[in-house]
Amino acid sequence: MANQYRLENIFWALGTVAFIAITSYLIGLVAKFLVKLRGFSETEQRKAFWGALFAGPWISGFFIFVAGPTLVSLYYSFTDYKLGKPIEWIGLENYRVLLKGEGTYGGRFKGAMFNSFYYAAIGVPLQIVTSLGMAMLLNREVKGIRLFRTIFYLPVILAGGPAVLLAWRYMFATNGGFVNVSLQRFADSFFLFDYIYRSVVYVIESLNGFYIGMAVRDDPIGPLKYTFPALLGLFLIGPLAFGEWEESKRNRARRIIEILGAVLVGVLFSKGLAANPINPVWTYAFGLAGVGIMLLNARAEKWSAIRTTQIIALVLIAASLVMTLEAANFDPTKGDTPKYLIALIVAALPLIVPFFGKWTTFTTKLMLAAAGILGVIIFVLLIPGQLDGGRLELIFRYLTFQSAIEQPNNMEYLEEVFPFETISTMWFYGSIIVVAAIAALLHERYPKQRRVFLYAAFIFFALIALNSFLDTRRYFQDFADIAKANGKPNYHFARFHEFADEYPENRRVPFWLTNDIWSKPSLVLITMWSSGAGMLIFLAALKGVPRSLYEAAEVDGASGVQKFFKITLPMISPALFYNIVIGVIASLQTFEMVFIIRTTETESSLMSAAFFLYQRTFQQLEIGQGSAASWILVVIIVGLTAMQFRFSKWVHYEA
Amino acid sequence: MANVLTLKTVKLDQVTPRWWHRLGGIRTAIFYAVMVAISAFSLFPLVWMAGTSLKTAEEANRSQLNIIPEDAQWDNYTHLLEDSAFQRAYLNSVFVTTMVLIGTTVSVSLVAFAFSRLEWKGRNVVFALMLGTLMIPDQMTMVPQYVLFFKLGWLRSFNPITLPGFFAGGAALIFLLRQFMMTIPKEIDEAAMMDGANPIQTWWYIIMPLCRPAIATISIFLFVGNWNSLFRPIVYLKQAELTTMPIYVSLLNNNQESPIPWQNIMAASVLFVLPVLVTFILSQRFFVEGITLTGSKG
Repeated sequence: MANQYRLENIFWALGTVAFIAITSYLIGLVAKFLVKLRGFSETEQRKAFWGALFAGPWISGFFIFVAGPTLVSLYYSFTDYKLGKPIEWIGLENYRVLLKGEGTYGGRFKGAMFNSFYYAAIGVPLQIVTSLGMAMLLNREVKGIRLFRTIFYLPVILAGGPAVLLAWRYMFATNGGFVNVSLQRFADSFFLFDYIYRSVVYVIESLNGFYIGMAVRDDPIGPLKYTFPALLGLFLIGPLAFGEWEESKRNRARRIIEILGAVLVGVLFSKGLAANPINPVWTYAFGLAGVGIMLLNARAEKWSAIRTTQIIALVLIAASLVMTLEAANFDPTKGDTPKYLIALIVAALPLIVPFFGKWTTFTTKLMLAAAGILGVIIFVLLIPGQLDGGRLELIFRYLTFQSAIEQPNNMEYLEEVFPFETISTMWFYGSIIVVAAIAALLHERYPKQRRVFLYAAFIFFALIALNSFLDTRRYFQDFADIAKANGKPNYHFARFHEFADEYPENRRVPFWLTNDIWSKPSLVLITMWSSGAGMLIFLAALKGVPRSLYEAAEVDGASGVQKFFKITLPMISPALFYNIVIGVIASLQTFEMVFIIRTTETESSLMSAAFFLYQRTFQQLEIGQGSAASWILVVIIVGLTAMQFRFSKWVHYEA
Repeated sequence: MANVLTLKTVKLDQVTPRWWHRLGGIRTAIFYAVMVAISAFSLFPLVWMAGTSLKTAEEANRSQLNIIPEDAQWDNYTHLLEDSAFQRAYLNSVFVTTMVLIGTTVSVSLVAFAFSRLEWKGRNVVFALMLGTLMIPDQMTMVPQYVLFFKLGWLRSFNPITLPGFFAGGAALIFLLRQFMMTIPKEIDEAAMMDGANPIQTWWYIIMPLCRPAIATISIFLFVGNWNSLFRPIVYLKQAELTTMPIYVSLLNNNQESPIPWQNIMAASVLFVLPVLVTFILSQRFFVEGITLTGSKG
């Protein structure tokens, strides 16, 4: 009988109230005691008692439901705890499995991260555009605008529960679902609409097919992975090399490099964790990244940023030291461990130097740079295989307009050797930081040499970008040819080709929820439908923009587009910023939508990180791995939030 | 040339005329057309849901676009209302939401009082800590909380859903109420204190009545949030007797019959959505103000 449970709940509720009353009273007493200890007056003690008493419910809730669980979950993440079975410590094994993506569940976690990236990179911008558009439409004083506002916001309320999501599921049915039927009618009505319909379907299917095809491969893009860092390098170095060395450009470069550095640190640390046995070589490298970032900030005199980078880098190196020792069972003489330990300590040195010198002196900065360069040399000498001849040859070939592909007709070479035996992209991204750091250092004393150095760096990146791009074409072509010759599928574009070949003769029907090509777009569409919450934030921000700004611009003859980009966007940038943050975090945390609209076929393509957590922890009762996954998730979310606050400088608060 | 100068000096207040200004009425018409289109898009699933709920099974599965059913099958609703599983789920939802509402509103107002009307050493520290918890994602605490509830033996009861709220769960709500309370003039408290009231009396007799609008706002947020809440119930309320409406509705998803009885599923969905819809329409002003005040989404 349900009533039995309800009565039971009421009984427990009364018990809880009593519990809270008692603990709040005790907390009040403790507060009073603490205040007394600090020597405050009788009145202060009494006030402390009452204050803590009233805040008691929250304080006890905090310890029971937040602080306690957080610590315990950290502990659980290092165990293989399955609910109901005894706990066993397994160290970093959970993290390894998840970060490396091995095994069924590691693979699913990796898939979930991949999906979340899609939602963040494609879903969030679309959502922002929709909500901003709706907000701009609502930003008028006309009749009935409040009614429209209510209507536009309604989907947010409705999408919070499963009911309307079920309605969407019904509407998305492939055959006869409302969406498809109306799309067919739309396409039937006018030949131009038909053409538009087919093009849109083609584009969506091809892009998604390509994305999924890429997810399957370990190294999906071949030499293209070098083009990206090279282009980033060009983008950053270019304006500085060819234009004025002005502050806004330097600031922009510095911000981008800090983000790059932070991402690099995260990736390297996880790679170090995921390797078995623990490979601190990776973690070493971000010590160097930290040094580069600190030099940049020293140039711009951002002392607090320097301290933060220093501390974070040192903490991570200390953690790596501990993990290296743990992997060697705390025997520092075993195997390669001595080399690793030396490398890590050398990595830490340049980071410790700034504690002893004054940052304002050029000498300190020079010492820092020298320590960093020395560290690189020692690192290369000590740890074999990181920067050896074979890998450097790739750079040489790109610089001399040759292809880096040695055996184009060998399937095994193309599949197994080329993607992995070449130099890691980490070095390319890291080199951007190094170049920027050196350029920053040169500025003060040697402006002419600085320009020459930047030209050289620019040419270096340009050659790498160009030739790796051309090489990519060769790589994909060779791959396709040899795959065809061997009767194998062309991995890279397999899903893509399924659809691309059919355009435009066939009119394809979107499969929405039954197909992994269409499942993510369905979710994105539903999210766009319910983007009313962001709309309200934008609306509030838009109302805060003074009309006088627009009027002044109109007198000067500004067009609508100019007004939007030069006035509206900067003035609402706090709201924009906020919505981007929330949007990205939400893409990791979507649960209800995935739960309702999934089918067995599309589950893996829709899975978000939160859903993975749900499956592992609450369905399969794997508390250990679930805790580890939740920590990884939390670190990402906190990191994103922190980075946003750090970079909110471009956000224009009220002048 | 002289004309241009006259234009600039005499009509300085006027906007440079642009081509779309001359469209006048057409612009307004287009604007309203766009607004109506977007409204249609926003409301559509709801309307479709309601329409389908009144169809027959055969009609619901047809590939036609008629929103209005040919023959309104009110039976779909009566059957549903008579179904004991549905009744139980609905009542459970009502029960759980009421419990959470009462417990949370009381404790949140107590804590908000502590942060706004009382001055005590350490208030700022604890307040900052509370704001900090806003940044902690749920995922962090969910897992150990599950173990905690397992050890307490609460996995087969309503407790994990209703009781955590009693601890003033939800820093966002505390923050909202606190901001509101800060707008009440201090003189009122001081007058009460002069008359010898202790803080509890001040809280109950003076501050709380003044906070009715904010309490209403919080209650609405809590109601909507809890009524729709799927995640915690799915995890903790696995038994049939404990099912709440969101679980009931989501289980309808797994219907393997052929043809799928969409009309019944939609009928249940409509009844599920109704309380939230009504509440929202009646109180949408509170929603909007509450959101823009805290920047949260409820």
